[in-house]
Amino acid sequence: MPSEERTQELIKGLYDAVVDMDEEAAADLSRTILREGIDVYQAVVNGLTAAMEKVGELYTSQEYFVPELLLCSDALYAGLDILRPHIKADETETKGQIVIGVVEGDIHDIGKNLVKIMFDAAGWTVHDLGKDVKLERFAEEQQRTKADIVALSALMTTSMVAIPKVIQMVKAQDPNIAVIVGGAPLTREIARSYGADGYADNAGEAVAETTNMLNQLKKSAS
Amino acid sequence: MELRQDRMTHKERLQALLNYQKPDRVPIFGMASTFYMINCGHTLTELQTDPQKAFNAMQWSCEQYNWQPLWEHLAHTVLGSWDFGAKMKMPDSPYAMTIAVETNAVQTEDDVWNLRMPDSKTAGAIPKRIEFCRLQDKAGWPVVFFSRSPFNMGADICGVQQFARWLVRKPQLCDQLIRMALEHSLNVLQYWVDTFGAEKVVYMMSSPSEANQIFSPKHVQKYALPYHREFHQRMRAMGVNKFMFHICGEQNLNLPYLAEFASSADGWSHPSILSFGHEVDLEDAAKYFPDDIIMGNVEPAIFQAGTSQQAYEHCRMCLEKGRKIRGGFILAPGCALPPKSPPYNAWMMTKAVNDFGWYE
Repeated sequence: MPSEERTQELIKGLYDAVVDMDEEAAADLSRTILREGIDVYQAVVNGLTAAMEKVGELYTSQEYFVPELLLCSDALYAGLDILRPHIKADETETKGQIVIGVVEGDIHDIGKNLVKIMFDAAGWTVHDLGKDVKLERFAEEQQRTKADIVALSALMTTSMVAIPKVIQMVKAQDPNIAVIVGGAPLTREIARSYGADGYADNAGEAVAETTNMLNQLKKSAS
Repeated sequence: MELRQDRMTHKERLQALLNYQKPDRVPIFGMASTFYMINCGHTLTELQTDPQKAFNAMQWSCEQYNWQPLWEHLAHTVLGSWDFGAKMKMPDSPYAMTIAVETNAVQTEDDVWNLRMPDSKTAGAIPKRIEFCRLQDKAGWPVVFFSRSPFNMGADICGVQQFARWLVRKPQLCDQLIRMALEHSLNVLQYWVDTFGAEKVVYMMSSPSEANQIFSPKHVQKYALPYHREFHQRMRAMGVNKFMFHICGEQNLNLPYLAEFASSADGWSHPSILSFGHEVDLEDAAKYFPDDIIMGNVEPAIFQAGTSQQAYEHCRMCLEKGRKIRGGFILAPGCALPPKSPPYNAWMMTKAVNDFGWYE
């Protein structure tokens, strides 16, 4: 059984590897964690997830930009790929399920990919439909997966007008499904006028906003 | 309503600005090539395939709205990933705005080193773009050569995400792509100069991928600015001095570096026309670039998703700041005018200038 001190040392190392964009160190430390019998769930939550929360803060405060965020995510997945298969079944309950995609007519998917990373890191199950996604696919995927949230992204002013149509389709199937939107031409005001339940200005804010939405949903259901 | 009578033609108004003189009123620049097409009953695919329709739509819409037709360009850019071999897709969905990359020409490190220079007369959209410029020339207008910055085009060749990773891990790959983009831009510019003469050519550049929504000012300073410097040196050596720069998106953190470059001996000629996204305050823009004409910067989405009153109010606010700018001001959207904007919202630029844009 590893000592508490050793556990903290390795988890801190994992955290630093992600924040410092060190993919190799993240993989090495993850293997060490397995070898030494450290609690894997704790390593993921306090090492990898916590690190990506920090990365999200650094991105929001413009200390990190897209290159840094992508490289941090490479380190995240290097660790996650090794550790995730070893999480015990009773610990694998996800925070929630989300269907995500860039709407039809739009191939700009950097923002969507960054948001996906943040949800992955935070322990959500993400169903990524990709880019230039036909409008009806969002509602279909939500029905198939029973996801709690649908997240829509658009960068172009031509594609943003597809967003209210998707929201309508999703809500027509189940009015209790919450929809969050984001993308350069959108604002909170426009999101509201489109019938969205939430809006995030950047990837760093998306998880917190969606978690609030999910809590609201649960509250109104109970 | 009755509009006040212009006392200058579009040409005289623009010339006054370029001479640092006060025009009769603030000019309006639509930045609206896609809007023009819809306005005249055409499709956005035709913007890419039919230069005559695109030219007519631009001319007629500018006449209808009393906007500045000179120095207006044909979207999308003259050059880009298509030239280097990317698989492209025409705007085939009702929600698509423009031609888009389906598969990048460069995906691996080997692809970078195996990439070949495109033909400067036949690659990608070049033949259609020069046809459009011939129509501008025939009308007696300046011909507008519109392209991305070398850094931006370099990123487009392999896709911005790949480029972002390489910029930190393997910057030599990015340098190679930016170098090729720069050389290609100048090769094609030479074709334009040979065809029309340097004095007729206006170079319009945009740089959305240099925005701080993607890259840090540190990266822009280190990897984009040296190429801007070289580009301007060589463009001037070719005799092209008219320059318009759309500093697209959130670039507040880049402004000090761009301003330092602009005021250096290697910087662009003054006055150039600098267009800003709505994320940049017009007063900041004027402070950083006192020798240039500032253009902008009504939030584009307001025209499409807002009410006409909101569009009018945003135009008024821009005019209030813009009219005080010493180097001159042009009212325009902060980026392309959304093609599906209600026409009455678009007309708010004209109405606001009529109400608040006169210099006396």
